[in-house]
Amino acid sequence: MWLRRLPTDRLTRRSPELAGQPLAVVATIRSARQITALNDEAARLGLRATMGLADARAMYPQLVAIDADDDADAATLNHIADWCDRYTPLVGLDPPDGLFLDISGCAHLFGGEDGLRRDLIRRLAAHGFHARAVIADTPGCAWALARYGVSSSFADDETTSRSAPPPERGRSTREARRVGVNMPSFTQPPSPTLPLSGGGSEQRALLPLPLAALRIDPDIAAPLAQTGLKTIGDVIDLPRAPLAARFGQDFVRRIDQAFGREDEPIVPRLPVPSFLVEQRFAEPIGREEDVLGTILHLAHELARAMERHGKGARRLQVALFRTDGKVVRIEIGTSEPMRDPARIQRLFLDRLAVLGDEADPGFGFDVIRLSALAVESFEAVQTGLAGGDPAREIAHLIDRLMARFGAERVQRLVPQDTHLPELASIAVPANTARSRTETAPHAAAQEALFQDSRIPTRPIRLFERPEPVEAIAQVPDGPPVQFKWRHVTHDVAYAEGPESIAMQWWRTDQGLPVTRDYFRIETRQGARVWLYREGIYQDRDNPPHWFLHGIFA
Amino acid sequence: MTGAQAPGALARLRQTLEKNEYYQHDNAPLKLGLTRAETLLGGGLARRALHEISPQAPIHLGAACGFALALAALAGKDTGRDTLLIQTEIARFEAGAPYGIGLDLFGLPARRLLVLRARRTIDALFAMEEALKCRALASVIAELPDDKADLTATRRLSLAARTHDGIGLLLRQRSTSIPSAAMTRWEVAATAGPRDAYGGAGTTSFLLSLVKNRRGPCGRFRVAWSHHELAFVEADPVVVAAPVADRPADAAIA
Repeated sequence: MWLRRLPTDRLTRRSPELAGQPLAVVATIRSARQITALNDEAARLGLRATMGLADARAMYPQLVAIDADDDADAATLNHIADWCDRYTPLVGLDPPDGLFLDISGCAHLFGGEDGLRRDLIRRLAAHGFHARAVIADTPGCAWALARYGVSSSFADDETTSRSAPPPERGRSTREARRVGVNMPSFTQPPSPTLPLSGGGSEQRALLPLPLAALRIDPDIAAPLAQTGLKTIGDVIDLPRAPLAARFGQDFVRRIDQAFGREDEPIVPRLPVPSFLVEQRFAEPIGREEDVLGTILHLAHELARAMERHGKGARRLQVALFRTDGKVVRIEIGTSEPMRDPARIQRLFLDRLAVLGDEADPGFGFDVIRLSALAVESFEAVQTGLAGGDPAREIAHLIDRLMARFGAERVQRLVPQDTHLPELASIAVPANTARSRTETAPHAAAQEALFQDSRIPTRPIRLFERPEPVEAIAQVPDGPPVQFKWRHVTHDVAYAEGPESIAMQWWRTDQGLPVTRDYFRIETRQGARVWLYREGIYQDRDNPPHWFLHGIFA
Repeated sequence: MTGAQAPGALARLRQTLEKNEYYQHDNAPLKLGLTRAETLLGGGLARRALHEISPQAPIHLGAACGFALALAALAGKDTGRDTLLIQTEIARFEAGAPYGIGLDLFGLPARRLLVLRARRTIDALFAMEEALKCRALASVIAELPDDKADLTATRRLSLAARTHDGIGLLLRQRSTSIPSAAMTRWEVAATAGPRDAYGGAGTTSFLLSLVKNRRGPCGRFRVAWSHHELAFVEADPVVVAAPVADRPADAAIA
């Protein structure tokens, strides 16, 4: 699909008062202001894309010129690609103003391929975009016909007029059901000579097109013209080896791609889901209960499809297509593969509850699609009479909390093999903790820290940033006798320590390695804290710093 | 099966089913190992209920956290189920983050702990309600820095706790006297424990004040927590008069 007036359409949508006037988009190329895009009115006046702005203005003073904004154009193309997701999940970008859609297996939902094409162009026109869409067997052929194909006039946006030859329809040679199965890779039967059987009409339509329709390198366009090769029909029968030698391997590759002898895969913009189900509404819905009810219904169908293949989903996405073109995507992840519809709906309910305004329906949603982005094999397990397995229930609770609060807020504590206290135990998201070693996790640390003492050697709470305290201690390295923490002075009744822990080797203080002396302090009131002193007492002007790192029970 | 044999067969069938169940429904209160406290509580810390814990003074915040952890360790010891700790961000600044190694040494294995960092108190209360309805958890601890858990909120949490036999512990970082629907309310202070013969620090000890008890009178106890045996030990009992109903007319203070 070629959005032939993308920059000016974007500007006209933003400011509708520009609609009837000749409009040009200009950019500074090689220190001259040139026109890079125009709208239909300007084209009718005879202006062209590489004209200088000064010349154009001299001819037509009423021309409106606006600066080019490539980023906005790219963003608009992305939005349109997002919107085209309603037709097929395989949408590829062809910057700066084109899109590739692989519609194998999707066309029957819209009343055939031509029906899909007409619907696409009609809806885009309703949004204000002029587009030309061509359906063909290969992306190269479709690209060529869309941009250089013979047509009646520039007003090709609606259903084609009778005088123009209708854009060719190719047979889709790939069979893939829309619901249920991964799309198999493209295969085209290679054919040594032309024309190919079936779809030959579009091959014939390619022949009169100029060579630029093959997306060739601009460097070889001039040499090709000098040798007298102007249309595709000229090069198609020539022997290939001399062509490759003279004009490069790329040129021959482009010919092959256009005629289907070589594969050109469409790179999808978004990951293609393994399973998807969708529901279209004749009248758009907007209430949250309706959306959730639809999700439950779709989840039942998805579960049936996944069950046939013995798969469970790990990542699910709900795409809500608004009538005004915006697409809202909500994604959830689970810690184990699952396909229970009630649980899936529950997770989306939790996620929608926090989304709020982002999932605003606007004028309503007219398509709701549920897709499984990541699946793993998952066989049904015979549950016992009691029903319910503690590990699965915990996993489901974790999933729901993650859907509600975010995946990084639900954590488990795993040990690390290091002597630095703040890194000895770190928090990781709960759904990844399974992959780490879980058996007797802190036992190794426990062995090292075992002491025949009555209080544990490590505190139950650790501050992420050790809190500075003012302490009075015996010089040079004795335990503190009094310290002031959070503006309260405490007298030390008892101190156990010091336990010296050296910091990382690259941290030095005037050439000496930095060590911390940790003390387990019991105050006169009975409270217990973990203090450390960084550095030693060297002289009166440079006292060492004391910090409170953790608190004991 | 005759009519007379049917009840016996039914009981046997029930027993077989119960043995196969994953969840042994335990309605018995949680045994603390402290005879006096258990008498006041009616057998132990009540399950299917919400209990509140707060420190007596800000410096005793560590003791309150420790007491909550000790209760969670006891709750999870027999069944092997997990514990969920919910902390708001401000509570994390106040008291620090749970430290895995310290938890292991204290008696609650870190691999059985799930931590939820909630942003606001409302999120923490919502998460606690949902977690109490999950029957695979032994206990749920929510640490809140403020007074936002009022009568309505604690009533909702109590109702949620009644669905399954877990224990809900609401750890307030500031002691407060606002009314609440919790079954018991404890105030905890740290105290010096019995020292060993070599001059080392004494065992972790708490001075517990049961300030609200739905099932009996209140009291104060001095207990020590042994992290080697995972049990409370009664330490120098503070003399307290026996409850009025059971006191004989001329008994000495026991």
